Amino acid sequence: MKGKRIMLADDDPGILDAVSILLEFEGYNVTCTPNGASLLTMQTDLPDLILLDIWMSGVDGRDICRQLKQNTLTSKLPIVMVSASKDIERSALDAGADGFLAKPFEMDDLLQKIEQYIS
Amino acid sequence: MAKQIPDNGYRDIFNNSKSTILVMDVDAPVYTILDVNDAYLQATNTTRETLVGKGVFAAFPANPTDEVSKNIERTIFSFEQAIQTKKPHTMSNYRYDIPIRGTDQFEERYWTTTNTPILDKDGNVSYFIHSPENVTELYKLAEREKAGIEALKNQRQQLYSTFMQAPVGIAILRGSRYIVELINPPLCELYEKTVEEIMGKPIFDVLYHARGLGFEGLLDNVRLTGESFKGQGVAVPLSRNGQVEIAYVDFVYEPFRENDGTISGVIVIATEVTEQVNAKKKLEEAEESTRLAVGAVGLGTYDLDLKTGEMATSLQFANIFGFEKPVSRKQYISVFHPDDIELRNKAHVTAIATGKLLYEARVIWTDLSVHWVRVEGKVFYDTSGKAERILGTLLDITEQRNSKEEQRKLITLVDNSVDLMSILNMDGTNSYINQAGMDLLGFDSIEEVTSTPIAELHDPVDFKQVESEVLPTVMSTGHWAGTMLVRHLKTHEIFPVFNNCIRIDDPVSGAPIAVGAVMRDLRPEIKAKQALADSEQLLRSITSAAPTGLWMSDEQGNITYINQTWADWTGLAYHEHMGSGWLTSIIEEDRQKAANRFLAALNNRSLYEVEFRIHHADGTIHWCVASGKPQYQANGTFTGYIGACVDITEQKNLQKQKDDFIGIASHELKTPVTSIKAYTQVLEKMLLKKGEKKEAGMISRMDNQLNRLNSLVGDLLDVTKINSGKLQFNPVDFDFNALIKDLTEDLQRTTEKHALVQQLTAQPVVHGDKERIGQVITNLITNAIKYSPNANQIIIRSSLKNNEVTLCVQDFGIGISQNNLNKVFEQFYRVSGDMQHTFPGLGLGLYISSEIIKREGGKIWVTSKEGEGSTFCFSLPVKINTI
Repeated sequence: MKGKRIMLADDDPGILDAVSILLEFEGYNVTCTPNGASLLTMQTDLPDLILLDIWMSGVDGRDICRQLKQNTLTSKLPIVMVSASKDIERSALDAGADGFLAKPFEMDDLLQKIEQYIS
Repeated sequence: MAKQIPDNGYRDIFNNSKSTILVMDVDAPVYTILDVNDAYLQATNTTRETLVGKGVFAAFPANPTDEVSKNIERTIFSFEQAIQTKKPHTMSNYRYDIPIRGTDQFEERYWTTTNTPILDKDGNVSYFIHSPENVTELYKLAEREKAGIEALKNQRQQLYSTFMQAPVGIAILRGSRYIVELINPPLCELYEKTVEEIMGKPIFDVLYHARGLGFEGLLDNVRLTGESFKGQGVAVPLSRNGQVEIAYVDFVYEPFRENDGTISGVIVIATEVTEQVNAKKKLEEAEESTRLAVGAVGLGTYDLDLKTGEMATSLQFANIFGFEKPVSRKQYISVFHPDDIELRNKAHVTAIATGKLLYEARVIWTDLSVHWVRVEGKVFYDTSGKAERILGTLLDITEQRNSKEEQRKLITLVDNSVDLMSILNMDGTNSYINQAGMDLLGFDSIEEVTSTPIAELHDPVDFKQVESEVLPTVMSTGHWAGTMLVRHLKTHEIFPVFNNCIRIDDPVSGAPIAVGAVMRDLRPEIKAKQALADSEQLLRSITSAAPTGLWMSDEQGNITYINQTWADWTGLAYHEHMGSGWLTSIIEEDRQKAANRFLAALNNRSLYEVEFRIHHADGTIHWCVASGKPQYQANGTFTGYIGACVDITEQKNLQKQKDDFIGIASHELKTPVTSIKAYTQVLEKMLLKKGEKKEAGMISRMDNQLNRLNSLVGDLLDVTKINSGKLQFNPVDFDFNALIKDLTEDLQRTTEKHALVQQLTAQPVVHGDKERIGQVITNLITNAIKYSPNANQIIIRSSLKNNEVTLCVQDFGIGISQNNLNKVFEQFYRVSGDMQHTFPGLGLGLYISSEIIKREGGKIWVTSKEGEGSTFCFSLPVKINTI
C-alpha cells in the first residue's frame, strides 16, 4: 500500500498542498496538477489512483473523467472525484468515477476511499 | 113768319151756351185763342183776359206730373185732323189737367172734345171751334165700376183657388145621393182618386168600401137637421196604394144652405191624421217603455210637494237610499252624508231659481256603506210664479263615481308622467298631449295642440318616416315602437325620442279611431351613454397606462378582456388572448401549470396566484406573477375573475443573483475549509504520533469547529438550492429506525448533559433520500439539545400508523410562544426576545428541514409550551412492501 502513487488534480493550490501533505504523511507518493486537462496527456508513468476535483477553473472534472475512462490506456485507472457539492455525486458516478467524496472531508473517509480502490 | 134772332143775338147764345167753346186761329203751332165763351171760362177757372190773344198751349201748359197722357200731342193731332179733313174731329175721354190758378198745382180733368173747322166762302178753314166737355166725373165713375167688377172677379178666383189649394180636403155633396159637386185635390188625394173619377158622381159609388159603416147616417142627419158633425181620429177604410187600409181622419160635416136657407147638401172638410194618431200611439208606447226603463236602469222617481213638504217616492228611490220601502222626506234627508248636506241644500235653493235641480251626494245606508246618488228634478210653478212641485229622478252612481275616480287618478298619472303621452286623431292632429309632452314639444296650450298638424312636429325629412313607416305600421299591426326624430315647435331643435305607439280602436265597430303614443326624450340617455363612454375611455386609458397586465374572465374561465399593457408585453393582438388564447404567450414549460392552477381556482372560486414565464415581445423570457379574484354580482351570482399580472423578471433576476452569489460564496468558502481541515487532521495525527495528546485534543476541537463552519455553509447552500429548485434527492429504501439509532449515537457524543432517550416502536422501511432525512433528524435533535440547556433528557420517539411513520423529538427547554409557533419553519426564523443573541445559528435549519420533509411527501409540525419545552415531529409515508 505504501509507495502507491496518487495523482491529485485541483485548481486550488491550498488544497493541493494540504492534501498532498496528508497523503504523503500516510505514505503515498503524490503528484499534483492544478490543470485537469494535463491528465489527458499522460502516456506513461500512470498513477495508481486519481483524486479529481470537479470544478476546476474552466475545466469540468467529469469531462476529464469521461475521457480518461474512454481511453483504453487509462480506463482501468481508479478515479475518486471530489466536490464541494454533495449533490453532484450521482453525475460524478455517471461520468464514470469510481468513488466520490464531498469537500470538506474527514481524513479517515479519504484514506478509506483510496484504500478501497488501491489493492 | 117766325121770329128772327138778331145778329148780335148769336153772341148771347155763344156766351150763354152750356157748351164750352173756344175759338182758335189756324196759325199752327201757336193756335191763337180768338174767343172764348163763359161756359169755357167757368170749366177751366180762367178769365177772358188771360186767354184771348194768347196761344192755346201757352194758356194751358201740360201738367208736368202727367207724363202718360201725351195730351199736347193728341190735341195737336186732333187740331190738324179737323183742319186737314175740314170735318169735326172728336177726342174722347182724354186727360188734360187744368192748372189751379195762383199755384203751380194742377187739377186732374178728363175731357171729350170736338174740334170743328169753320170754312170761309172759298171752302178754306178760316178758324175752328174747340169745344171740350168736362167728363171727369163720368170717367171716374166708369173707372170705379170697372175696378169693382175686377175686384169681384179676383175675389171669386181667390176663393176658388183657396178652395182648391186648401191643405184640408173639401167637397160639396148635393142631394140625398150626395153627388160630388165640387171636390178639391187634397180630398181627392185622401181618397186616392182623380178629380174626374169623383166629380159629378154619388160619393159612395166611388168610395164603395166606406159604405154601410154609418157615414151615410151621419150625412143624412146633417142634411136633414142642419146640425154639423165633427169626427176626430175616426178610423176609415181607405185605399192606399191600391190596398184598403185603415186611415185616421178628422172631419167636419156642415150643412150646405141655399140662399133661401134650405139645405141642399153637405160640405165635407177632412184631414188625415193617421200619422199623428200613430205618433200618439208611439208616444204612449214610449211613455210605457220609459216607465219600464226607469225601473230597469234603477232610476228612482219622486214627486215633492213644496207647499206641504210631502214627498212621494218610488220603491226604487227608497232602495237607492238604503230603505226597503218608501219613507218620509225627513228620513231620506237624515241619511245624507254630513259633508254633503250643505251641497244638497244649496242645490235646492238654486233649483227654485233656475227651475232645475241637479246634484250628486253621498248617502249612508244603515249598514254604514256609502253610496253616491245623482238627484235630478224639474221645478213646477203655480200661476203666481211660486214653486209648488219638484218632479224628478234619482240614480245610484256609486260605480260611475268610483270609475270616474279611477279615471281621474289615471288622468293625474298621465298628467304627471315625465314621458309624453298623446292621442292622435285620424285627421292628423293631436287631440290630447299631457303636460310633459307639451313642455317637450313646445306647446303653450291645448288649443295649440289641437290646431297643430303633426307634420309641424318633425323636420320634413324626418316626417317621411312617420308617414311611410310609423303610421302605416300602427294601422296595420296595431303597434310601432322605435326611435324617431321630432322637432321642437318653437326652437326647432331636432332631437331623438323613443316612441311607443298603439292603435286605438272603437270598442264597438273595431274601426281605428286614434293613435296613442308614449314618447321618451332620448337626450338624457344619450348624454348618459356619452358620459359612460367617456368614463370608459378614461378607464381604458388608465388601464393601458398601468404598468400591470389586467385581465377579466367570464364564469367559464374564458378570458374576456385584457389591457393594452398585457397585449404590449406579449406582442399578441387583443383577440388572440380571448378564451384560452392567453396561454399561448406562456412558455411551454409553465403553460400547463398556469392553466391547471387557474382551473383549480375557478372550480373552488378561490383566489388565483401563479408565477410563469412568458415570451416577451422584446424577444426575451419574462417572469410574471398573475393573480385573480373571483367576482360576484350583487345577488351573489359568480361572474368570473378579474385579475392582474405583474412583471417580476427584475425580482427574479435579483433573487437569482443572490442565490448565485450565495452558492458561489459557499462553494468558495468550502475550498479553504477543505484545506484547513486537511492540515488540521494531518497536524492532529502528527501530534498524536509525537505523543502530544493535549495539543492533539485542541486540534481535534478545532476540527469540530471547522465541521460547524462547514455545516453553516452547507445550510446556506441548501437554502439557495431550495430557492432555485435545485435541491436534489437521491431516493433509496432504508430502515428508518436504524437511521435514527445511528444518528442518535453520533449526536450523543456531542452532549454530555442530555440523555438521548430512544422510544422506537416499529421498523418501517422508507423510500427517500436517506441523507436528507438524516439531516432533518440531526437538525431536530441538535435544536433540542441547543434549546434545552438546563434539561437533562431528550426523548426521541417513532411510531407507525396508517402507513405513515412519525418521528417526534421532545425537549424540556425554553419552548416557543404560541404566536411564534407557525413561524419556526420560515426562512431566517430565530428565537426572539431576551435570549436572541445567546442562541447561535442562521435560522435556516428548520426551514431546510421543513422543505426536505415536504419534498419527501411528508408533514412537519411542532407543539410547544413556553418554558416547558417543545416537541418537533415529522411524518413520512412508508413503503408498503417492507424488505
